[in-house]
Amino acid sequence: MSTVPLMRRVVITGMGAISPLGVGAEALWQGLREGRSAIGPLNHPDAARLRVKIAAQVPASFDPAANIDERILPMLDRTSEFALHAAREAITQSGLEFRQNGLGVRTACVVGTGVGGETTQDEQSKRLYGENSQRAHPLTIVRLMTNASASQISIAYGLRGPTYAVASACASANHAIIQAAMMIRYGMVDAAITGGTEACITYGALRAWEAMRVLADDTCRPFSINRRGLVLGEGAGIFVLESLEHAQARGATILAELAGSGMTADATDIVMPSADGAASAMRQALADAALAPEDVDYINAHGTGTLANDVTESKAIRLAFGAHADRLAVSSTKSMHGHALGASGALELVAVVGALRDSVVPPTANLDKVDPACDLDYVPNVAREMPVRAALSNSFAFGGLNAVLALKRAP
Amino acid sequence: MTDTTQQQIFDLIAKQAKIDVATIKPESTLKDLGIASLEAIELIFDIEEHFNITFPDQQGANFDTDTTQSLVDAVQKALDDKAAAGEGSN
Repeated sequence: MSTVPLMRRVVITGMGAISPLGVGAEALWQGLREGRSAIGPLNHPDAARLRVKIAAQVPASFDPAANIDERILPMLDRTSEFALHAAREAITQSGLEFRQNGLGVRTACVVGTGVGGETTQDEQSKRLYGENSQRAHPLTIVRLMTNASASQISIAYGLRGPTYAVASACASANHAIIQAAMMIRYGMVDAAITGGTEACITYGALRAWEAMRVLADDTCRPFSINRRGLVLGEGAGIFVLESLEHAQARGATILAELAGSGMTADATDIVMPSADGAASAMRQALADAALAPEDVDYINAHGTGTLANDVTESKAIRLAFGAHADRLAVSSTKSMHGHALGASGALELVAVVGALRDSVVPPTANLDKVDPACDLDYVPNVAREMPVRAALSNSFAFGGLNAVLALKRAP
Repeated sequence: MTDTTQQQIFDLIAKQAKIDVATIKPESTLKDLGIASLEAIELIFDIEEHFNITFPDQQGANFDTDTTQSLVDAVQKALDDKAAAGEGSN
């Protein structure tokens, strides 16, 4: 082994979001702390012939063209539109200028997405197979490639450091954020733009999810005995990460510290989750952040509202936290913003930053009656004012992939 | 007369589980036959395609503990509903 590498602390100095609760991270956080669910009737041209009737969709008031160069717009899938808007909000809040003092070269851009340009894929498939067109749109590739969001952000802001996409289904955002944080920690870059984006409300994707029979037909009720599955969402959450010293040197406002992370794979089943895999990721995140279980007040759960996840995740939290599990506030904000798949960890990080900053834990909405097999405090339906010193944010993906973030209050 | 609905379903189950069709009993659950999780969802898809029916939404995990007889009943009900709807629209 070589010498122990430099380990710098990583902080969040900007956040942005486009979510079913509206445009902006503040709109998302306000909606969540009010316990407001954005799940509603599916708005889609093919809704009448689909079995799925509900979703959590970015409101029609979102204007993708606002503040985006009209020459860039035709190159963007909805996935990249979300990501670019969220990135602008985050970068504006941070106050960083990447084209000054060579900062762009020392900035990474890592964006998670489960699939990438699904709207583009769907439109072009329809054209080719449905309408027998001989030609695909010439911008098909640049719109749909998984790295399009990361690359468009890099181009828009002059980010010239390591830039790529991370894909791990429903854990994509957390895996991306961890990658970005690692690069700062080890001194490879000083700053990073990171998060996740997904735009998955397409005819093809909806049919595929229907066939898997995991979609709820009423609403998303995590940890509730009457839960009937997940509700698809969409959106993007993008963050500005910096090394602590970089942020302090410029007098930046620090929103929270990204203190550690844990990543594991179940290596068991392609869809059925394992409590051991999830628990080991949580344990790793605690150890990495130098947190004892007793230091943590809140967990933003993966909490999809499926039969399998909620029981397994509850067991995993108990495995990782022991007796302290009974003192934790655990909530699933997917009950309000839906499951935005590769973006979900990013939307949920907005919730965790809000909880640390405002000392308010967002609730689990639609929680009618706790499933006896889920035996933790799920903060039912109403937000709770309480000090939050440190928190975990769980993301567990199909494929058995677990990525957990550990956050602390701003130092 | 073609095979009974039950025989056709048992053939699909045998194919999915890669077992001898003679070993399938009406009281066997899919889990008993080694069909769990995603395989159960795939079997449901095969049955829907075979009979050109659509089962109502149901959480996937429940199929594992269903007996093959309850599957046969569900298919028969879906076929009856389809026949009734067809008559109604004619």
